[in-house]
Amino acid sequence: MSTLLYDEPGPVTRARLRSWSVVALLVIGLAVGLVCWRLWGQGQFEEDLWAPFLDEPALRTGLVGGLVGTLQAAAMAMALALVVGFAVAVARLSPSRVVQAAGATFVWFFRGPPLLILILFFFLAFPMAFDIDITPFWALVLGLMLYNGAVLAEVIRAGVLALPRGQEEAAVALGMRRGTTLRYVLLPQAVRNMLPAVISQMVILVKDTSLGFVVSYGELLRYGNTAIQVLDNPIQMYLVVALIFIAINMSLSRVAHALEKNPVASGLRRRRTVAESR
Amino acid sequence: MPTLVELRQVNKYFGEHHVLKDVSLTVDTGQVIVVVGPSGSGKSTLCRTINRLEAIDSGEILVEGTPLPTEGAALARLRSNVGMVFQSFNLFPQYTARENVALAPVKVKGVKPSVARERATDLLNRVGLAEHADKLPARLSGGQQQRVAIARALAMEPKVMLFDEPTSALDPEMINEVLDVMKDLVAQGMTMVVVTHEMGFARSAADRVVFMDDGRIAEACDPEDFFTAPRTERARDFLSRILPH
Amino acid sequence: MDAVIDNIDVILRGFGATLLVTLLALVLAVVLGTATACFRVSPLKPLSAVGTAYVGMVRNTPLTVIFFMVVFGTPEVGLNASFTAFAVVALGVYTGPFIGEVLRSGIQGLHTGQGEAARSLGMSFGQSLRYVILPQAARDVVAPLGNVCIATLKNSSVAMAFGVFEATAAGYTLANANATAVIQILAAVAVGYLCLTSLAAVAIETVEHRVRIVR
Repeated sequence: MSTLLYDEPGPVTRARLRSWSVVALLVIGLAVGLVCWRLWGQGQFEEDLWAPFLDEPALRTGLVGGLVGTLQAAAMAMALALVVGFAVAVARLSPSRVVQAAGATFVWFFRGPPLLILILFFFLAFPMAFDIDITPFWALVLGLMLYNGAVLAEVIRAGVLALPRGQEEAAVALGMRRGTTLRYVLLPQAVRNMLPAVISQMVILVKDTSLGFVVSYGELLRYGNTAIQVLDNPIQMYLVVALIFIAINMSLSRVAHALEKNPVASGLRRRRTVAESR
Repeated sequence: MPTLVELRQVNKYFGEHHVLKDVSLTVDTGQVIVVVGPSGSGKSTLCRTINRLEAIDSGEILVEGTPLPTEGAALARLRSNVGMVFQSFNLFPQYTARENVALAPVKVKGVKPSVARERATDLLNRVGLAEHADKLPARLSGGQQQRVAIARALAMEPKVMLFDEPTSALDPEMINEVLDVMKDLVAQGMTMVVVTHEMGFARSAADRVVFMDDGRIAEACDPEDFFTAPRTERARDFLSRILPH
Repeated sequence: MDAVIDNIDVILRGFGATLLVTLLALVLAVVLGTATACFRVSPLKPLSAVGTAYVGMVRNTPLTVIFFMVVFGTPEVGLNASFTAFAVVALGVYTGPFIGEVLRSGIQGLHTGQGEAARSLGMSFGQSLRYVILPQAARDVVAPLGNVCIATLKNSSVAMAFGVFEATAAGYTLANANATAVIQILAAVAVGYLCLTSLAAVAIETVEHRVRIVR
């Protein structure tokens, strides 16, 4: 197949690609070798740095505990953020100018500054200014909720706005009221459309739970930090922590991918594309 | 007239799908070949193999008696002699109509920019777009864009022009302005291979009509014969469905 | 409000460090991202595999974990640098794949017909890239690249936990020292970030509007 950048290769090009691939492989191998050699020279492959992951039950229990902490915070924050995001999206789609502006301000204000500022705000301001005790869990979750709520509001709004105008017109032509149209016609379709985007935001949210370490919330990364005090193996520990995050997030992405290919959702999309192309 | 393009026993697969089956065809200098057939019959692919936008799996394609180069500078040189017009125009959206036409002569052939600009203006004039020369493609209608695309291909002074369904993406009222430009080219003796659904054009402009069905050339004959007395059942069937009732 | 006014120099100094870390990290990220994009669109399988692996791994790893790896991992193999340099490296390595993906989709988002039309006119690979594909891709990536820059500015706040006295660290320190003015101080820092991100958004919008191609 000819693509944007390349023709289908001819025999000379194919031979050239083969030999350059070999060169590339050699260079990559060399680079990996150099890194390993350096690690080995610094004693990073010594057994006592790696063995605890296999034969230290306490370490594994601790990592699992940390993972549970990560997932709990992520799940709670996601649930709340969806509620907030939905409410703000509805506000932004509202016919009232004032409500619209309020929604827009919410999004602007909570999406602008770093998430860390929001988390610190809950963590410091509540006990110090209002004299209310707040656990690290809630400081983290509330910060995540506001930030991701603002982001998800935009995702949801975009999902509704991306629906073909004909859908709303048809509903109105049938005499449906605004709320009814939104609830029975627009939202169900929009939800299916925006699932992939919502799940990518979930990947970001899962990663952001690791910011919990600044408020000493007991999640995966914090557990790793504690264990390093004893094991003195930062490279190995952070590698394992990273791999766990990668595993979670790649499974989430796979779910998103599967949903995109889901026969119900994609069937819906296909029919609409046909309708629009006419 | 000498043979300009020749396809010998060409076969092409898309994965499992056999899209061109033993296709042989000769195009003489000055000849206009119109390729018709149901969608999916391989007519677009046939057209695209002639400048190797699609590589073939077996057989031979000769242009002016020499085998079609498979890659590199030789292929680029060949393509600069073969004009191609696409269904979706494919104008470069960041350049004005004139720049679209003048770009390749300057960059590929090394023509002086001032000369290329002047020639571009002439060509745009020829396709009836003199007053639109400084507009970006997005400001032009589909028919106008396709006429710029024809001028762009002509600017390379090609020996043969390939048209891959040039009017299929156009609104009905714009089809004729493009066909008129193509008929002018025919009148000037341009060698052309045209894939189209426009039976009127085929009938009036073609020297030979090639009817493709399921990857094969089912018939290749004089247009009058094809439209009045098609020999194959499939061609009769195709015509009965496509011609006005 | 007094706490904010009295300490405005500390906050501003923090934002200075924020901008410095952000800009340097972006320079590194553009270098890494350009390489990643080239690798990923390359016809050489080993290179595209390396590009895909880098993107897949880093994009799914929290920035904080990368910070820890750089700040506490590299000294283990005998490499030492200042906190700011570590922060720049961590943030740059993290941002690289995002830039790479923006550049790659800028190129691959173009219609195949653009490449075919260029080649049909006799253009070589280099010519079609230079005259047809890159000029279009460059315009298309303005807005997404701008968004990555804004995200990087916000992400630089993570450096507060790694010895860099940037804006968030300034806010945190001042808030701890002024228990009665926590809200004002954090709000001031938040507003500072809002100003920067909103300004950047306006700038991006302006540039994007100027270079946009209508198709």
